[in-house]
Amino acid sequence: MGDLVSNLSLGFGVALTPVNLALAFLGCLVGTLIGVLPGVGPIATIAMLLPITFGLDPVGALIMLAGIYYGAQYGGSTTAILVNIPGEATSVVTALDGHQMARQGRAGVALGIAAIGSFFAGTVATLVIAALGAPLTGLALIFGPTEYFSLMVMGLVFAVVLARGSILKAIAMILVGVLLSTVGTDLETGEERMTFGLPFLADGIDFAVLAMGIFGIAEIMRNLDHTEHRDVVRQAIGRLLPNMDDFKQAYKPVLRGTFIGSLLGILPGNGAVLGPFAAYTLEKKLAKDPQRFGRGAIEGVAGPESANNAGAQTSFIPLLTLGIPPNAVMALMVGAMTIHGIIPGPQVMTKSPTLFWGMIASMWIGNLMLLIINLPLVGMWVRLLKVPYRLMFPAILMFCCIGIYSINSLPTDVMFIGLFGLMGYMLIKFGFEPAPLLLGFVLGRLMEENLRRALIISRGDLWTFITKTIPMRMSEFWGSIFNGTLCRPATPAMGGQESPGFVCGYPLSATLLAIAAFVLILALLPSIRKGRDEVFTE
Amino acid sequence: MSIVHEGSGPPRPRGPIRAPQSLAGGLVLLALSALALWLTRDLDQGTLNAMGPAMLPRWLAIGVGLSGLALLAFAFIKDGDPLERWSLRGPVFVIGAILAFAVTIRGYAFGPLVIPGLGLLVSGPLAILIGGFATPEARLRDLVILSLSLTPFCMVLFGDLLNLPIPVFPQALAGLFPADWSQKAVLRACAAIMAVAGLAVFLATRGRSRKPVDVTDHSGRI
Repeated sequence: MGDLVSNLSLGFGVALTPVNLALAFLGCLVGTLIGVLPGVGPIATIAMLLPITFGLDPVGALIMLAGIYYGAQYGGSTTAILVNIPGEATSVVTALDGHQMARQGRAGVALGIAAIGSFFAGTVATLVIAALGAPLTGLALIFGPTEYFSLMVMGLVFAVVLARGSILKAIAMILVGVLLSTVGTDLETGEERMTFGLPFLADGIDFAVLAMGIFGIAEIMRNLDHTEHRDVVRQAIGRLLPNMDDFKQAYKPVLRGTFIGSLLGILPGNGAVLGPFAAYTLEKKLAKDPQRFGRGAIEGVAGPESANNAGAQTSFIPLLTLGIPPNAVMALMVGAMTIHGIIPGPQVMTKSPTLFWGMIASMWIGNLMLLIINLPLVGMWVRLLKVPYRLMFPAILMFCCIGIYSINSLPTDVMFIGLFGLMGYMLIKFGFEPAPLLLGFVLGRLMEENLRRALIISRGDLWTFITKTIPMRMSEFWGSIFNGTLCRPATPAMGGQESPGFVCGYPLSATLLAIAAFVLILALLPSIRKGRDEVFTE
Repeated sequence: MSIVHEGSGPPRPRGPIRAPQSLAGGLVLLALSALALWLTRDLDQGTLNAMGPAMLPRWLAIGVGLSGLALLAFAFIKDGDPLERWSLRGPVFVIGAILAFAVTIRGYAFGPLVIPGLGLLVSGPLAILIGGFATPEARLRDLVILSLSLTPFCMVLFGDLLNLPIPVFPQALAGLFPADWSQKAVLRACAAIMAVAGLAVFLATRGRSRKPVDVTDHSGRI
């Protein structure tokens, strides 16, 4: 506990310097802006702004990028409530009841409760990250290549299960993503793979290029196909602060949403996306009168919004502790970190504590700033919504080109965002979700590396993923049950003098794979499959 | 985004193909898998103990191919979504704009054809003007004003303030300015000229097309 306090105070010391405060503010502002503007996602924006952070110090750069990320979550809910257009995928559910509240003249209350719920969730999530960071980092140190590989397989399985639409298509996308990650020079043999002999492909496909193409350019092409309806609320926004009754109705959903969101956010494999959907379904199940949902129930805004923000923040945990990005935004964070010479993983906390704790503290500060910039500035955001898309997308297009060009100064990179944009557009048209592809691409290289290492250690035995165990201290009880098979009494050489007990080999890798298999089978069961479709279509 | 589902329209014709979208998706996956297998045909697969460069790509390609086959099979067994409406205009202009930007920013050589490096000064407006026509609602006047105001903004932001290594103007242009001017001064002068030109176009054409340009028409549809 004392550690936590001293760590957090170190973090606040870093985050409260004027420069970092200004960067956090800028990040939140830009994030809200892109969250409000439909058609620009956080992925494309972070990829666009990555070059801007070159000149900053690593802490400042990451604080700003993190601000963009959760700012976008905030902004997305503003458009969901006022215009019925979810700016982000995670605010789809907010639009259901939030927009109805706005139509009843309670837009201000909806915005207010969304902001307050998000702030509360953000505060809790910050504490969760601070509290879980240290123990999970310790856990990461006992992970070998075998366990890392199994963990990533589990992450990808979660991504498949959580993707919208057909499971088969999601699996195909993951495979394509990992396949794309193998393009380029093979790290061990130095042979070029699938490069068509092109020199700029020798280093592999740049993640920012792929992300910008598939999420930025393909989005533009897709939006152009659909004539847009913007149903801006004409009624006055009304008072922003919810009254006592509203609070009484909303505080339990906020608590539940925060809990669900934090829990799902930690899952590797983009669990944060599921948070709002799960929270909404739960609130509807628990409500005395489910009829009210979809007609402006305040619980339908409070729960999902809290879950959304909590999940957005706890999804930093797998990245900061295990070095595994759970979603595409976090993968861009990996890119930003490596540009600044930081390798994400358990060593971040010990090697650069100012970065780790500074970033965590800045999240809380960022949430406070969002609360302050969002509520009074709502009018300005609404006005922004009136910029027509026909003027917005050429500007986005140019920013994308400039951003991607300045990362490597390569005109071929710019051409490739066009190519991947076309590919992403085709995939969307054929009913494939691009998100699993990107996650597969991100984890692909790490997976191949760890697979190779694990197989070298096991001398080419694939069973190692099931049979490999890691030593762990266990209590008398479990030790005596498994004595002889997995466990043996602790000897002084193992440090057994202090306390008698058993040292057991725990099959961590097999456990992870078993969880993955279980979840996959569960998702394929017809009854659960139907439920899964319902959650996403609501 | 309000997504229009074309699938909810008239009943589709019955035929052996019951899910055209899956069929097309399956074909794309098969093609991808075949391409990857063909590209890795000369590489060594190695053994599990010492994996060669082709091991993972080859097995992934086989996996992609199998998913493709499964999708193909499902296309004949299960009812699914029809193909969505395609439009060529969007992708063609968007990709055209990207290519125009890519070849003009630093110069590019296609064998004998050499395009000089024109910098952001030219490639920025080019991207906006070409890209802008991706939508049928495009208006040249708006796009010209947008490009003349956004490009100087980007020039100053990226080239001047952030010092990104991005070519800003063609080198030939520097000759037009006094020799003792620094690169930054030329950049600022160019940006100022463009911004003024943009403002001039805006003011000069304001009266003529006032009505249709008012973007906030009050029907709620933009």
